[in-house]
Amino acid sequence: MSYRSLCIAMVILFLSGCVDKSIIDDINIQSAVAIDQIEGDPEKIKGMILIQNYLPDQAVENIRFTSTGKIRRDLLLNIQKKSSQPIVVGGLMVTIFGDKISDYGIAEYVDVYMRESSVGTRNYLATSKSSAIGILAGEYGPRGNATYLRNLIEHNIEHRDVPKTNLHIFLRDYYSRGKDPYLPEINGVSKDEVEISGISLFKGDKEIDVLPKNKMFYFKLLVDNYSNGNFLVTLDKHKTAMVKSIKSKRKIKISKDHPNKVTFEIHINGVVTEYTGGKVTEKVSKEIEKELEKKVNDECMKLLTQFQEQQIDPIGIGLAYKANIRGTAKKGKNWIGEEYPTLSFDVKTKIDIRESGVIE
Amino acid sequence: MPEQPIADKFKISPFLVLYMIMSMQIGIGVLGYQRIIVAEAKNDAWISVLVAGFALQFILWMIYKINETVNGDIVTAHIYVAGNFVGKLLSSIFIIYYFILSLTVQRSYLEVIQVWMFPKMSIFWYTLAYMILCIYIIYGGFRTVVGIAFFGLVLPSYLFPIFGFSLSLGEVNHLLPIFEQSIKDILLGAYKMSLTFIGFEVVLFFYPFIKEPKKSKKWAHLGLLLTTLIYTCIMIITITYFSMDLLAKSIWASLSMWKIVNFPFVERFEYIGIATWSLVILPNICIALWISSRLMKRIFNLQQKKGVIFIAMATLFAINFFPTRVEVNLLNNLTAKAGFVFTFIYIPLLFIAVMIAKKVKKT
Repeated sequence: MSYRSLCIAMVILFLSGCVDKSIIDDINIQSAVAIDQIEGDPEKIKGMILIQNYLPDQAVENIRFTSTGKIRRDLLLNIQKKSSQPIVVGGLMVTIFGDKISDYGIAEYVDVYMRESSVGTRNYLATSKSSAIGILAGEYGPRGNATYLRNLIEHNIEHRDVPKTNLHIFLRDYYSRGKDPYLPEINGVSKDEVEISGISLFKGDKEIDVLPKNKMFYFKLLVDNYSNGNFLVTLDKHKTAMVKSIKSKRKIKISKDHPNKVTFEIHINGVVTEYTGGKVTEKVSKEIEKELEKKVNDECMKLLTQFQEQQIDPIGIGLAYKANIRGTAKKGKNWIGEEYPTLSFDVKTKIDIRESGVIE
Repeated sequence: MPEQPIADKFKISPFLVLYMIMSMQIGIGVLGYQRIIVAEAKNDAWISVLVAGFALQFILWMIYKINETVNGDIVTAHIYVAGNFVGKLLSSIFIIYYFILSLTVQRSYLEVIQVWMFPKMSIFWYTLAYMILCIYIIYGGFRTVVGIAFFGLVLPSYLFPIFGFSLSLGEVNHLLPIFEQSIKDILLGAYKMSLTFIGFEVVLFFYPFIKEPKKSKKWAHLGLLLTTLIYTCIMIITITYFSMDLLAKSIWASLSMWKIVNFPFVERFEYIGIATWSLVILPNICIALWISSRLMKRIFNLQQKKGVIFIAMATLFAINFFPTRVEVNLLNNLTAKAGFVFTFIYIPLLFIAVMIAKKVKKT
């Protein structure tokens, strides 16, 4: 009896496993997406989907599908009609939004990423300086465009000046009441070269400004709790030092007695990687430290006042404020309009130069 | 009719009560309870979880008191308080309660599969397969059910550290300031925890099966404490990971958190998680079915083997009436309310009744 019921159980278990199959050789996995707005019509978008085709000799071929549509799904539908195999979204690495569309607002295009269960939240969103499709149209490296772009963003986050970002962080900030989102901006320099050209700052889902490259490091210092990156300091005409920060910490302090004063405490541990003035003595390194501290203070202050004027809060001061001052959350959304402009900032930087390379 | 004593070979060791309680509690609720609690208690939701957890310790103490006084399960307690007929009538409500509970778990899990993995998954065939598995387990007797409870907790336990991935993106400021919300909101949050916490009251039903029940007490309380701590941890991680408005949109916050996990050998971890979860809910359904059929045996003298098949068939039939999210949600809310009434209102009332009956019978 029990043997027979076991048999029946097995048969039904295996039978009920018959759902839609997706065999990896028989599907096209979209790995990068670029979306542009067609000029003059905010309702119409043009998109490109990039599929990486892994060839037998380990090379990767970029296959591109372009189409127009009204919403992103529509786009995908039109593209499906061109593809010989079903296109699935599970392996998405990078999505690039064109300049016009990020000015117009990207929320409705991001919606699909929240709704669709098969999209991971570790993939990257980026904006582009000009046309997004233009970026995907190039050929970068032997491992395929999508992998190239993903690695470009990834290593710049881990070791260089791009603050931490991915789909989850964008969504979290977009739906946060105390922080505005930001995205890296990518620029296609030539047919086979791309660069990260700045940080797009958003108000809601609209891009309102782009931070230039040389301010990215300071922005990262302010945004991320821990970060590393490079910065250049000029002592005088002939003496320029390049300092690599290996470890930095940031704290936002708001005291309950003076809720209008926000103090940023930044602590950087760095090494001198290049110096044009000869020997790095203790005196010189003290000098570099001082000069750097001044520079970081100035640049960060500039950024903070700029954000304040633009009424955006990519750093998350609103969050810190809410966390330190009780009852802020209950006042609701108008924090940025009423209290944010009245805040005054102070940046206190401390820099420790640990080493100056293997020579003296 | 006096209760037949349970033979020693059918009884379980006291420490196994811990696995019974924990595996019955940890079920479908864990995948998405955060949103519901946070809607009430905002960033203090984790306090709600703690409050609910500690309140339940007290209820658990009552359950043991009831069982010890009447030296039997809930049916004995009912008969002790209200006499044979009314007692059995009261007990038969719980046949339906556990039937609905197993239905809720089964349907909610199927919904997760349909939304996250296979939209075309057939409700009927999947349930049929699952029910046959459950019947097979219950045919093995109570000890087999306990064994499944043990494995249903130990084997999937590797899922818990996975939540650590989300910590790296956590923002502590989301938690602060602590105690920002009013006591009322925190208590409302604790009330909403009921669906996630219910399950520990199964002790009421299998008490006669415990060897040296006195020794099992500490294990029961420990099990409840562990579940509370696990829920609190997950809650804290969730609050730091999401911003409030994003969390309000995430129906299955725990699954959404697994989306960030990335191993070199697996691109999307939530598929592994969901598949493993079928092992987590297996003891849920098995224990619920076992209790239903056991109650049938106690009340109607129906053979347990027949009772299980009857309940399983009823589940198979009823599950087709919940085709969309709206109905599933309705079912979930109903079960949560029933669970709350049972644990926080009915058990204390029964406790008082038993205590009074004891006094009356003594004099």
